[in-house]
Amino acid sequence: MSLFGFLVETLWGVGASILKLSLIIIPLMIVMQVLKDYQWLDRLTRVLQPIGNKMGIRKDGLFPLLVGILFGISYGSGVIIQSVESGEMDEKDRLLVAVFLVLCHAIIEDTLIFAAIGANGFILLTTRVLVAFLLTVIVSRQYGRTRRKTYENSTT
Amino acid sequence: MINSIKSGFWMGIRTTGMLARVIVPVYLLVAILSRYGGLEQIAHFFEPVMRIFGLPGEAALVLVLGNVVNLYAALGAIVAISLTQGQLTVIALMLGFSHSLFVESAVVKQTGVSIRIILPLRVGMMILVGVVAGQVMGGIA
Repeated sequence: MSLFGFLVETLWGVGASILKLSLIIIPLMIVMQVLKDYQWLDRLTRVLQPIGNKMGIRKDGLFPLLVGILFGISYGSGVIIQSVESGEMDEKDRLLVAVFLVLCHAIIEDTLIFAAIGANGFILLTTRVLVAFLLTVIVSRQYGRTRRKTYENSTT
Repeated sequence: MINSIKSGFWMGIRTTGMLARVIVPVYLLVAILSRYGGLEQIAHFFEPVMRIFGLPGEAALVLVLGNVVNLYAALGAIVAISLTQGQLTVIALMLGFSHSLFVESAVVKQTGVSIRIILPLRVGMMILVGVVAGQVMGGIA
């Protein structure tokens, strides 16, 4: 292939990839912004409650968990760190939220961008959520109730 | 609602710009390596390791870029090499568990959770899931 042909093909390839990704990312960011602005996150937190219970994460850990799952660790870092610093999560909650989130975060964006280039999105999403859930349950059991600092259950 | 949509739209544009700034150089680098032969040597060198995951040797480059830089860098390399659909799913699974280790570990550290637990967990899951998925969906043609 000539150098010119190589350059055209390369630029075409990278341009097409970026265009494809932008078609996913722009609508996604719009949806996320609406979720944020209309306080739908608080409502979604309630949906997480039964799953949180099974993993041993208490109510105060659910909001940072949800933010991380939807927005990711980097974008969500402000909210996540703020929730931790507000001091309502104990050591166990913090550990469990971290275990779940490092394995499973920004799941919509990550799944869609990899699906866009040809991976199986369903397998990606379900495997990631299941593995993160199972490991969090395991760590939760290992941690043991005894080490949990007893807080007055300040949650409403 | 209009304001939310507008700011979401600009956020999307900004994210796309950020992603392009990472993807373009990585893609160019891999394309150049592939044209002038360097990629072949890398692939040959990593072939024995990547075989465990049912992936070609070039995929090592993708895993390193994803873990050290971020997922966009990994994407830039993925689109520059050729993988089957099954291999794409395997490598995406692996990267899902472990990526952007420097940046994300810094955030985790801020929450007071030990990196000594989190890092082995992520890398361990990447390897474990990669081996299992590689057996099922990978495979070198």
